[in-house]
Amino acid sequence: MAHRLDVLGLFDNEYREDGFRTCSVTGLEVHRSVDNHVKLFGLTAVVALLYGGIFAFTVAMTRWEVIGLLDPGAFYTHLSLHAWNLLIFWMVFMEIAILYVGGPMVLGRRLPFTRVAKAGWLVMAAGAVLVNYAIWTTEAPNEAPLLTAYVPMPIAPLFYAGAIVFILGTVVAALPFFATMWFEKRENPGKTLPLVSFAAFVTSIIAVEALVGGLLAFGPALLWRLEIIEWWDAAWYRQMYWIIGHGTQQINLVAMIAVWYFLTHVVAGAEVASEKVSRTAFILYLFFINLGAAHHLLSDPAVSTGWRIWNTSYAFYGATFASLIHAFAIPAGLEAGRRKRGKGGGLFGWLTSAPWSNPVFSSTIFSIILFGFLGGITGVMMGQLQLNMTWHNTFATVGHFHGTVVLGTTVAFMGLVFFVIRTMFMRQYISERLASIQPYFYSAAMGVAVLMMMYVGILYGIPRRTAEVVENIPGTEFSLSAAAPLFAVFGIFALLAITGGVLFVLVAVGSLVFGDRVENAADNADLVADGGLGMAQDPDDPVHAYEMRGTFVLCLVFLAAFVITYLLNWYLLTQLWSIGA
Amino acid sequence: MTSPIKPPDGNWWDQPVNRRESIWLGLGVGWSLILFGWMSAWTRVGDQNPIGETFRVEAEEFREKLTDYKERAEDTDDGLVPPDQDVYIQAMRFQWDGAPVVLETGTEYDFHLNSMDVQHGFSLRPEDALSKQINLQVLPGYEWVVPMTFDEPGTYHIICNEFCGQGHRSMHGTIVVEEG
Repeated sequence: MAHRLDVLGLFDNEYREDGFRTCSVTGLEVHRSVDNHVKLFGLTAVVALLYGGIFAFTVAMTRWEVIGLLDPGAFYTHLSLHAWNLLIFWMVFMEIAILYVGGPMVLGRRLPFTRVAKAGWLVMAAGAVLVNYAIWTTEAPNEAPLLTAYVPMPIAPLFYAGAIVFILGTVVAALPFFATMWFEKRENPGKTLPLVSFAAFVTSIIAVEALVGGLLAFGPALLWRLEIIEWWDAAWYRQMYWIIGHGTQQINLVAMIAVWYFLTHVVAGAEVASEKVSRTAFILYLFFINLGAAHHLLSDPAVSTGWRIWNTSYAFYGATFASLIHAFAIPAGLEAGRRKRGKGGGLFGWLTSAPWSNPVFSSTIFSIILFGFLGGITGVMMGQLQLNMTWHNTFATVGHFHGTVVLGTTVAFMGLVFFVIRTMFMRQYISERLASIQPYFYSAAMGVAVLMMMYVGILYGIPRRTAEVVENIPGTEFSLSAAAPLFAVFGIFALLAITGGVLFVLVAVGSLVFGDRVENAADNADLVADGGLGMAQDPDDPVHAYEMRGTFVLCLVFLAAFVITYLLNWYLLTQLWSIGA
Repeated sequence: MTSPIKPPDGNWWDQPVNRRESIWLGLGVGWSLILFGWMSAWTRVGDQNPIGETFRVEAEEFREKLTDYKERAEDTDDGLVPPDQDVYIQAMRFQWDGAPVVLETGTEYDFHLNSMDVQHGFSLRPEDALSKQINLQVLPGYEWVVPMTFDEPGTYHIICNEFCGQGHRSMHGTIVVEEG
C-alpha cells in the first residue's frame, strides 16, 4: 500500500504477508524495509548527483578559460559545491544504499532498526544541507573550503560543523547494516557470507576507519575556528584529513567492486572464479588500502621518507595487488560463467555475445575498464614518492580522480541505478534507446575529458584549483598558454560528458515518474542473463575448470599499458634537475 | 554455480585455482615488488626525491632568517644573489617572498621553504620546457630544506598550486638560473 506522501507511487511494491517478495531477476527474497530504505538513500544520492552536476558545468567552463564563465570568487564556491555534492553526498548516500543491498537484501533478511536508518538519513541530510549552506554563505575573511578545508585557512566554522554532522549521520545510518551482520552470524555461526555481503562488510569497516579520521580532522579544526583551542597544526590536519579524504575514496572503490561482482553476475551470468582468491583480495584491502591515503603527503615536509614509502605503497603494494586480483577475477568470472552457459566461442566470444545494449551491463564493463586503465594506473603513478612531485596538485591529479570516482564509481553506480529502477522501483525505462546509449556516450566523452586533464597537468604543469592560469597569470607576462589547444579539447568533451550526465538524470527521473510499471516477471526477463541464472548448476562442473584465456590476454594488455605508463612517467621525472637529499 | 550473492558450497577454500589465474597472481606479486623496489632504490641512487630536512619554525622566526639572508644577499636587477648556498623563500598570500632570486647552474642550493600564513604549493618549471615541473607542499610552522642543483640556465617560474585565497592565481615568482 502506498504511503499518503508517496504521490509518485515509488514505494508501493507488492509484498507477501511476511513482508517479503521474490525478485524475478536476482532470485533474492527482498523485504519491504530493504526496498524502501535502499530507495530512500538512492533517490537522495541522485538528487545530490543532479545538484553537484550543475557545478560540473560551471567549473569546467571556468577552467576552459576561453569561456571563463565565473570570476575567481564564484569559481571557488562552485568548485566546493561540486566537490562536496558529488564526491561526498552522491557517493556516500549511494554507499549506504549499497550496504543495505549487500547486507540484508543479499542475505534475504529484513532491515533491522528502520528508525535508526531513517534517523541516520535525517542527520546525513541535515549535514549535507549545512555544508551547502556554509559554502554558499561564505564571506570574507572566510574562504570557500573546497574539498579539503586545509587548516589554517579561515573557513566558516559552520562548514566544519556540517561535515561532522554528516559523518555522524553516516555512522548512524550504517548501524542497521552492522546489526544485520551481527544477527546473521549469530543465527548461522558456521555459514560463510556470500561474496557480495563479505565485500560490503569489508567496505563498512574501511568506512568506519575513514569516518573516525574525519572526526579527528574536522573536530579540532572546528574547535580552533571557534577559538576554543589556539592552534591546530597544518601537517597534523593534513594527515588526519586524508584519512577521511582518501578513505572515503577507498569506500567508493570497494563498494564499486562489490557492485561489479553483483551486476556482472546478475545481468551477464558471471560466476566467482575463485572464492578464495577474491576474498583474500578483500582481506588485503581491509588491512592495507587505507594506508594509501599517505600519497597525499608525499610532497610534504612533515613526514619521514620511510613513513611515506611504507604507507603510500600500501605496505609493499598489498592493496594494488588486491586490485590486480579483482582486475582478473571479475572478467574471468564473466568469461568462465558465460563459457559454462555455452555463450563463449573463441577467445572473446563471451564478450561479443554479452548483453551490450543493456545499460546495466555496459555501465559495469565501462566502469571496470576505465577505472583500471585511467584511474587505477595513474593512482599508482602519483602514489610513487618521486613521481608524485610531478603530479602533486596539478590538473593531472584531477584527471586521476575523475578516472576513479567518475569513470569508475559513478559509472558503476549509474549502472546500479538503472538496475534498481527496473527491479526495485519496478519501472520500465522511459526510453530503451536512450538508456542503452547513455553509458557509451557518457563514458566516451568523460574518458577523453579525463585524458586531457592528465595531459595538461603532466605535460604543461597546469595547477588544479585555479580560475586563471592558462591564458593569463595576473601580474606577469608568463602564462601556460601552450596548453590552450588541449584545454579546448577538454572543454568540448567536458560539455559532451555533462550532456551524458543530463541524459542519465533524464532517463532515471523520467523512468521513475513516467515509466510504465513492471507488472510481472516477464517484463524484466530481458534483464536476466541469457535466459536465466539457473543454468549450469551442476556442482561437478566447477567454474575454475573453464577457460579464462580471453581474460588473460586482456589482463596482459592492461599490464603492458601499466608498465609503459610507468616508464614514461619515470622518463619525464629523470629529465628534471637534481632535487632532494 | 558459484554465485557472489549466495553462500559458497562446501569447502570453498580448498577449491583449485585456474592455472591462468595463478599465473596472473604471480605476475601481480612480481609487479608489486618491482614498484616498491624501484621507488625505494631511487631514494638511494636517484637524483629526484622530495626529501629534505624539516624543522619546526614559527613564522616570525623564519621571517628573521629571511630578513638576515636578504641583507647579506646581493640585490641585482634580476633579483637576489644569495651569499652562499642557502636560498630562503617564504610563501605568503599572495607572493613568494625571497623571489626573484639569481642562481647558477651546477651549484647545489638548499631551498628553505616556509609559509607565513596558510598552506601553499611551490610549483616550479623552466619557461621553455613546461613538462619539466615539480611541486612541493609548503606549510606554515615548518621549514623544509630541499636541495636543488640546476643543470640548465634559464628563467624558472614559481606558481602557487595550493588554493590559498582569492588572489591565489596571481601568486607568482621567478628564479633566474645563469651559467655557472
